[in-house]
Amino acid sequence: MREANEMKELSIDVPVEPPTELKPLFIPIPPEYVEDAYKKDEFLVLVGPQHPGSGHMRIIVRVDGDVIVEAIPDPGYVHRSMEKLAENRLYIQNIPLFERPAIMDNANFNLGYIRAIEEALDIEVPERAKYLRTIMAELCRIGTHLYDAAILAVFIGHTTGFMYPFAVRELICECLVKMTGARFTSSFIIPGGIRRDVDNGILNFVKKATFEIERRLKNFEKIFIKNPATIARLKDVGVLTKQEAIKYGVVGPFLRASGVEYDVRKVESYEAYDELDWEIVVADEGDGYSRFLVRVNEISQSLDIIRQAIGRIPEGDVISQDLFENVNANTKNPKDIRGAFYDVFTNLKLPLGETTTLTEAARGLLLYTIVSDGESNVPYRVRIVSPGWLYLRGFMESLKGERLADLQAIYGSFGYFPPEADR
Amino acid sequence: MLGISEIFEMFKNNMVNIPLIQPIIDALMNIPLVNYVVALVLWKPFFAIAILPGLGGIMLVLLLMVYWERKLTARIQWRVGPLEVFRPLRGLIQPMADGFRYFFQEVIVHVDAHRPYFVQLPILTFIPVLLPILFIPAGEIVAIRSPYAIQIIVALIALIPITIIGIGWASNSRFAYIGSVREAMMYFAYEVPFVIAVLAMILMYGSGDPYVIVEKQSVPGIIMNPIAFLVFFIATLMATSRLPFEIPEADQEIAFGPFVEYSGILFGIVMTLAYEKLYIMCLLMSILFFGGWSGFAIPLLGDLSPVIWLFVKAVVVMLIVALTRSIYPRFRLDQALRMGWTSMLAVSLVSLAVALAIRLSGWLG
Repeated sequence: MREANEMKELSIDVPVEPPTELKPLFIPIPPEYVEDAYKKDEFLVLVGPQHPGSGHMRIIVRVDGDVIVEAIPDPGYVHRSMEKLAENRLYIQNIPLFERPAIMDNANFNLGYIRAIEEALDIEVPERAKYLRTIMAELCRIGTHLYDAAILAVFIGHTTGFMYPFAVRELICECLVKMTGARFTSSFIIPGGIRRDVDNGILNFVKKATFEIERRLKNFEKIFIKNPATIARLKDVGVLTKQEAIKYGVVGPFLRASGVEYDVRKVESYEAYDELDWEIVVADEGDGYSRFLVRVNEISQSLDIIRQAIGRIPEGDVISQDLFENVNANTKNPKDIRGAFYDVFTNLKLPLGETTTLTEAARGLLLYTIVSDGESNVPYRVRIVSPGWLYLRGFMESLKGERLADLQAIYGSFGYFPPEADR
Repeated sequence: MLGISEIFEMFKNNMVNIPLIQPIIDALMNIPLVNYVVALVLWKPFFAIAILPGLGGIMLVLLLMVYWERKLTARIQWRVGPLEVFRPLRGLIQPMADGFRYFFQEVIVHVDAHRPYFVQLPILTFIPVLLPILFIPAGEIVAIRSPYAIQIIVALIALIPITIIGIGWASNSRFAYIGSVREAMMYFAYEVPFVIAVLAMILMYGSGDPYVIVEKQSVPGIIMNPIAFLVFFIATLMATSRLPFEIPEADQEIAFGPFVEYSGILFGIVMTLAYEKLYIMCLLMSILFFGGWSGFAIPLLGDLSPVIWLFVKAVVVMLIVALTRSIYPRFRLDQALRMGWTSMLAVSLVSLAVALAIRLSGWLG
């Protein structure tokens, strides 16, 4: 990578002054660092936050020629203080809030929070609701992977690769509309089940849509995934070895791309995942292309999970009977929460203590911790650790030694999503 | 010392002959003062530079190319593309609307810029773009006739990157700096194979004179030496920073590189630079590989017929080049450099050998 350094350089002793424009930017690096970089004939490039290839964050890239020496992230531009906001809202009001970190992945984010509440209250969820939650979570996982694939494509300059996944994602949105009534952020999962039952005709539509998605993804594969220029750009770029990936705490598909077989859905199975046959997708290379391929293969696994779940879904209630204890008998309907919603949920109180759940969101491990004081109907503290925040370190480490042009390719291969990381 | 009447006589003796509009021209030539203008416009060297295949052709190509590129990319990407600006023609005048928008947008010259160069370089870039057109003949319509025209065109095309590097330098910003370095590097990547491919064709035809080259193409050059065409085509993509070699501009990486600080009409001008260069290279490509202006003569158009043929051939090549944008992502700079200096250089040398073989076989006389 760095043959240029082996040649003998002629040093010209010119006094270098660090640019003054760096001072008023409040960047998280000391002035000595800037001076040091400029004295060593290196260059600081501020990528973002207003840059077509940075997302809502700033990356301070220290380059030696064209090679990245160090990358320092400056996240927080889309911080919405969700944890603090949650402390002043009812448990049920927090559901729409906690879908917002990654709106593409709303069902998984919703599910993690709801499962924490259910664990604290010890509610048993009906089987049918579990299957429907699984289907929604997998639909959102596919949607997120498609979104990330689109961003990756446009980051390396492939606009067709950007449009195709978004067009395919429309089918996912259509499925979610039919199931929940909203394209995304439907707040459909509630403690004890889901809002209302989804009839089998709609599930058949979802099943048909999975085949259509598969068919359309073949076009995407032809034009982008197997494109020689794509492979040239992503192969052997931003490599994280197995040890490095574990050391820097990378999660989700990016950890699996480095050869670590870890998936919360298998390890601490939740919902209907342990009743379905599926495999953890792993790759060994740990480079940008394998990080992308793992997610592409996860899409086909997810489609398979959805089909199986639709095939095996049992009939029955979708809302737990435990919730209806104090409810008026004529609004009690275990297939639809409408009418009883406020009676059931406004005075929801969690017992004193702390509950933690792990969820496999599309981009990786998602942790929710709810601390309750046992007497108020709002949480005392909610902690979210989103996958983006967890793999930011690994992302920055994988940039070292690569070229400046690879910054966007690696960014896309990680599918880093600042709103999710900043919460 | 030339007087007005001598110059007028010179114009009149060397005018473009178009039978279709000859009665109108005859009528105009009888009106005093207007006849000077008409004679100048239809004077062959001026016509070549200002109307076709020169400045007028460039303007036409810009409007057509921008629209076509957007529409074609949209069709490939399951979209509709520009439509709302003048629906009866499916948004055909969208580029014009974009042009107006650029024109009325504020031009911001930031404090760090080298003001004089920053403002004048985008306009000065028209000089190296128009210089090669002086030597590109189209039948009888030619500005400067030279037996070394092809060599001169190739040399003049090499001037275009210098203005882009100048633009990047005058912008005095990080991304512009990186972009101009990339532009210089890309020039370094494609220039040698490009020159060798052109040399192969000159060797094959035995002359750098476009008239000789066109005359000898009883079979189009692309069939005689397809390898040289391949190198020329890839070099064209590199030279005009089209995908997959859109490396100097790379909007997601360095935000349009040398042009990052431009806004308003100045951005509109620098943005068209790559299209203008593409047009010149496509004209050269049609002369070398597609039989130039040869084609059946249209009697009504007279002298204009070969120009139209050359223009149409160049435009068709451009329309095909537009396709790469929706098929390929962008290569990295070092990959493009490696490609230029290994595979492309090797293939260009093979094309030279093919040309030598054809020359020695005496096929082209």
